[in-house]
Amino acid sequence: MADAKPLTSISKFIAVPDDCLLVTGSNGFIGSKVVQTLLEYGFVNLRCFVRPASKLARLEGVLKRSRPGRHVELIAGDLLSRDDCRKAVAGVSIIYHLAAGIEKSFAGAFMNSALATRNLIEAFLERGQPKRFVNISSFAVYSNRKMKRGSLLDENSPLEDAPQARHDAYGFGKSKQEEIVREYGESQNLPYVILRPGAVFGCGNPALSGRVGINTFGFFIHLGGSNRLPLTFVDNCAEAIVLAGITPGVDSEVFNVVDNELPTSKEFLQAYRQKVNPFFALPVPYPLAYAFSLLWEKYSAWSQGQLPPVFNRRRCAAEWKGNRYTNQKLKEKLGWEPRINMSDAMSAFLSQFN
Amino acid sequence: MLKTAIIGCGKIADQHVPAIHRIPGCDIVAVCDRELLMAKQLAERFGISHCFSGLDQMLETASPDVVHITTPPQSHFSLAKRCLESGSHVYLEKPFTITAAEAETLIRLAESRHLKITAGHNLQFTLEMLEMRRLVQQGFLGGKPVHLESHFSYSLDDVTYVGPLLGNRNHWVRQLPGQLFHNIISHGIAKLAEFLDDDLTEVLASAHQSPQLRALGGQEVLDELRVLIRDSAGTTAFFCFSTQLRPGLNELRICGPANSLVVDHASGSLVRHKNRSCKSYLTYFVPPLVDAREHLRNACVNVSNFLGRRLYQDAGLKELIEHFYQSVRSGGPPPIPYREILLTARIMDEIFTRIYSAEGPSAPVAPSGSFEARPLTSNARP
Repeated sequence: MADAKPLTSISKFIAVPDDCLLVTGSNGFIGSKVVQTLLEYGFVNLRCFVRPASKLARLEGVLKRSRPGRHVELIAGDLLSRDDCRKAVAGVSIIYHLAAGIEKSFAGAFMNSALATRNLIEAFLERGQPKRFVNISSFAVYSNRKMKRGSLLDENSPLEDAPQARHDAYGFGKSKQEEIVREYGESQNLPYVILRPGAVFGCGNPALSGRVGINTFGFFIHLGGSNRLPLTFVDNCAEAIVLAGITPGVDSEVFNVVDNELPTSKEFLQAYRQKVNPFFALPVPYPLAYAFSLLWEKYSAWSQGQLPPVFNRRRCAAEWKGNRYTNQKLKEKLGWEPRINMSDAMSAFLSQFN
Repeated sequence: MLKTAIIGCGKIADQHVPAIHRIPGCDIVAVCDRELLMAKQLAERFGISHCFSGLDQMLETASPDVVHITTPPQSHFSLAKRCLESGSHVYLEKPFTITAAEAETLIRLAESRHLKITAGHNLQFTLEMLEMRRLVQQGFLGGKPVHLESHFSYSLDDVTYVGPLLGNRNHWVRQLPGQLFHNIISHGIAKLAEFLDDDLTEVLASAHQSPQLRALGGQEVLDELRVLIRDSAGTTAFFCFSTQLRPGLNELRICGPANSLVVDHASGSLVRHKNRSCKSYLTYFVPPLVDAREHLRNACVNVSNFLGRRLYQDAGLKELIEHFYQSVRSGGPPPIPYREILLTARIMDEIFTRIYSAEGPSAPVAPSGSFEARPLTSNARP
């Protein structure tokens, strides 16, 4: 595994080692890696925001393994509380905002993504010393509905114009969250960067990406076919996030985060089945999945939602149409390179099933 | 066209809007939330034209005929009172109010202004509950119920709800007199209240914390509740609220002097148990087959309802709202008799007094309160 760049040798960053940095969602799958990476970079004054009663095992593991001499403060609170936000951001110069609404309801996802972000930004502008607000978004905000299969999806690709129609509460929350960040960037000069990671995988997250397939009907349906998966290994993703917070000259920029040498869905599933268990997977080609989604969508509308439109053309395209992906901008503007190559990343991911 | 509005644009409002949209002759004219962004996101998703962050402004500008209040319970009383005072009918989500006294004040106010009010006890209006009510009215039970049982399961698996609740002493659920129970049990209690007399002679309640909740850091929150109720006519009722039963049990059992009924919300079934005797060993063969036929009948009914576009997951909500709107239009009785709303609130008051009182749980004390001294006009179920 490659080492992080020592902070002392990189004077071009906008943060110094004892700047106070806040990480929300710091006990999560990605958040704990971001904390680990920040410590490896030499930042010694971190504030980790966690939800009350959340499991802290990942974060505590990171802190136990870190070198002495750092000051890491854990703050339990609710980003929907403006008071909690004010306490969290006092004296903070960079925020890595990873906390997100993962609820299934649209209202819940909106509250915990968009509303929480609004509260955090306002508190940051009021009580912080803003150098950068790093907003972690998602590929879910893109729409490839009008793009051809296999075309390049990059930072300039169209955004979903009706996220609610995709019946994806998480994507809806993320879209609205981005709108709020951009709005504060324009109206309040909030220095921000938006990162949109693809499918983040690694140890500690055994789930198969929905882009590979689904098991909604009691057996696995492989829908990804020979599409490239927009994967990013959690360590690589965390480093991209860290760099987005400290690299100068990238305010208001958007970065997609994907690794090099992306495997196809078929390759990924094959490796997964070999390692975990050789479960039955029914391959369904994209045109058939699209036709099924169309029928489901029509039935849902006709029946006034007796079956909710969980399968619809927008979602089908976003997840299984298949695109090419690039990390060119990430490399050029942030100087990022994947710490771990795809082969090692796959081995590390699959090792959790030993 | 009936003009409706919604106050409180959270998760429950997300359920109300599609249900209202399926009811002909009504239009959602405005949504309101103290947090304007919440109102806007709801309006954007459902094409609602007006958003407000202040109740008074919404009532003055939109003049809704009916207001749905889907806010946390602590605000129910003041918001409903304000809506009634401004001339709007009120659909008030469960729990109706914090106390029975508040419930009575609201109902008196609605009656004095010739307005309607109802509680969001939507599980009383699912397809299987409507069928159960039809059979009871036809005399299937053979008389007044002898015994009732209401089971209500609730899963702690949704950490997005349980986590903040347990981690924050100031969470609105923790501020309710009955905490977690207060926010949920009215569904199960209301089903009992439908068949109990107002004059209760006994309410015994016992509660404890499950090991699962303790492992989640449950602090003083209780999540297992058992209640035994007896009315003056001798009908007894048992209520069980549990986070631990697997598979989850969400049913109502009504035992009559002749026959019995079991309503199972999980499978949308109504099972009729008729009093039949079988000779000798036939008692081991025939009744199971009869039960199997009942379950097969339920499966066929559900398939038929699905094909007929009647099997919505929120069928009870839509039915209740539609019945309420009909009563608003016609001036007829509200879908849930006020007697039942008040009795539900009173039983809940009693339960919370028992389990959270300093004297300790389960003391068999005659219930207090005498709200039935003055008759209410809408005591009969329509």
